[in-house]
Amino acid sequence: MKILIIEDEKELVKSMAEFLRQENYVCETAYSAHDAEDKILLFDYDCILLDINLPDGSGLRILEKLKENNKSDGVIIITANNSLEDRVLGLNLGADDYLAKPFFLPELSARVSAIIRRKQFGGSNKLAFREINIDLPGKIVKVNNTEVDLTRKEYDLLMFLLANKNRVVSKNAIAEHLSGDNAELLDKFDFLYSHIKNLKRKLADAGSEDYIKTVYGLGYKFSV
Amino acid sequence: MRLLQVTLRSSLLYSLVVVLISIPVSIFSVRELLNEEVDEALALHTDQFLNHIQNFSYLDDLETDLEVVDQLSYDVDIKPSNGRAPLKDYQSVSIYDSAEQDFRPFRELSSGVDIKGKHYILTMRMSLVDNNELLVAIGLVQSALIILLATGLLLLNRSLSRKLWEPFYRTLNQLKAYQLDKNEPIRADRTNIIEFDDLNSTVSHLTDRNRKVFLQQKEFIENASHELQTPLAIFQSKLDMLMQKPAITESEAQIIMELEATAQRMSRLNKNLLLLSKIDNEQYNDKEEMELSSVIEGMLTELRPMADVENIIITTTTQHLKIDANKTLIEVLLTNLFHNAIRHNVREGRVMVNLNKRTLTVANTGKAVNMNVEKMFDRFSKESMNKNSTGLGLAIVKRICDTSAYTLHYTFENGMHTFTIVF
Repeated sequence: MKILIIEDEKELVKSMAEFLRQENYVCETAYSAHDAEDKILLFDYDCILLDINLPDGSGLRILEKLKENNKSDGVIIITANNSLEDRVLGLNLGADDYLAKPFFLPELSARVSAIIRRKQFGGSNKLAFREINIDLPGKIVKVNNTEVDLTRKEYDLLMFLLANKNRVVSKNAIAEHLSGDNAELLDKFDFLYSHIKNLKRKLADAGSEDYIKTVYGLGYKFSV
Repeated sequence: MRLLQVTLRSSLLYSLVVVLISIPVSIFSVRELLNEEVDEALALHTDQFLNHIQNFSYLDDLETDLEVVDQLSYDVDIKPSNGRAPLKDYQSVSIYDSAEQDFRPFRELSSGVDIKGKHYILTMRMSLVDNNELLVAIGLVQSALIILLATGLLLLNRSLSRKLWEPFYRTLNQLKAYQLDKNEPIRADRTNIIEFDDLNSTVSHLTDRNRKVFLQQKEFIENASHELQTPLAIFQSKLDMLMQKPAITESEAQIIMELEATAQRMSRLNKNLLLLSKIDNEQYNDKEEMELSSVIEGMLTELRPMADVENIIITTTTQHLKIDANKTLIEVLLTNLFHNAIRHNVREGRVMVNLNKRTLTVANTGKAVNMNVEKMFDRFSKESMNKNSTGLGLAIVKRICDTSAYTLHYTFENGMHTFTIVF
């Protein structure tokens, strides 16, 4: 899987690339619009992470360029300006998703994997992790052919953890992924603990191994 | 007191003093003038009388005739004198008038004359205007003058204050209605009065400059918040990377989580500041029709699990209400109100949401607040120690209500905080 990160803040690029490489993605970087234009014309990427505010012009130009050349690379716009107009404009120009700064790297990872799955397999794809099988369009989770009845939040939680396999995901990142702005109401994480507990119990009842490890004090890690 | 009333009072007072002083001055000068005229007339009469006498000097019994003239004529006395009489002597005298039974003023000219070798004193006399009558006449004229002056000035004042000061009051009304955050500069028409034109241009200049500073400040807040987003993103990404390090000890993990909580807080603060300045900069102008009750129900469905953590029960009674508004603003408004009601609640408390006609009330159980109700909607005024509270939520609610012309009202009664919004 090839990812192009177009962003002028080198420190941010460094973290993003390093985090995504842990998921075995190949990450290339471009620090300017000019750089990026050369790369998108020469190569095909599975996903492009595009900062709108680049020193040498608006990132929206890159979107136009992709469209002109009939490129079907998945694009996630990353911007400091969380304005509706930018969002609508970006999505109209063919971007697939939109992420406002600041963001959690696990959230970025989850969005990237969602885009790649969608681009690669079209509508009917399945995801498997050992004995866990997930039918993505139907949102059906099975453990060794036993269907696991998950609530929407539990399903989202599982997908989020799966997209960040082998990496520590903080409680804050999970809470924000599940509840968005409402996460700020959560002084403690009791809400999150009960979702984790239920998900673990349901998976175990269906015969799955316990992959959701608690990383003490930090959060959780989905790993073998 | 109005400015014109002050000037009117001064000019009225001045006129009154002048008129009062003018009464004795007039009497004195009229009297002098009359005396002069009368004196001239008396001199003329004396000369004429003596000329006539010269013509009759052939008469033998002129002496007797003169006696008769003295007796008959009221205005002429001619009496023999012993010594040398003065050549000419004017004087004012008061003589009893039997007809009017009163003393009346007269002017007399006594001259010594020689007729047929005999010395006589000839006194010519003319009646003068009575001092009292003169006083009354002049007094009447001056009183009429005062009345005319006063009414004239009052009428002038009235029409002047309406016409002359009209541009002033127009500017004043514009200033009263002026709001720094509204997009209407003060523009007054030319008046042809230097002072008013000066005032108007100064006022426009001042308000323009204030507005410019205000806009720059608004822009600065937006830019500053905007620029902070990237460093915050770097900070958060480094924390996410740090967490991946193997063998993190318990105390290290605690520090990382505290850093993350702080980063979250900065991020929320920044997001809310950005939101506030965007509302101020009118970046949420697009309106669409929406069914408010379903927006509310949708949000509360998401919020109920959060409320359940503290065993807070949310109840709603809503009627259908379609409003034309900006979707983002309405969502932010409702989110902030609901978050506020859940956050500042008590364990096993209640939140009651009621939408009736155009009125939305959000009531929640909670402790009384010590702060001033007005201050409650100010930025960064918060009482709770809750680290997730930015102190901007209610300020944003207020801003949205202000810009959308909704009325916002808060009460605290029987342990219930109630926010009322009329759309």
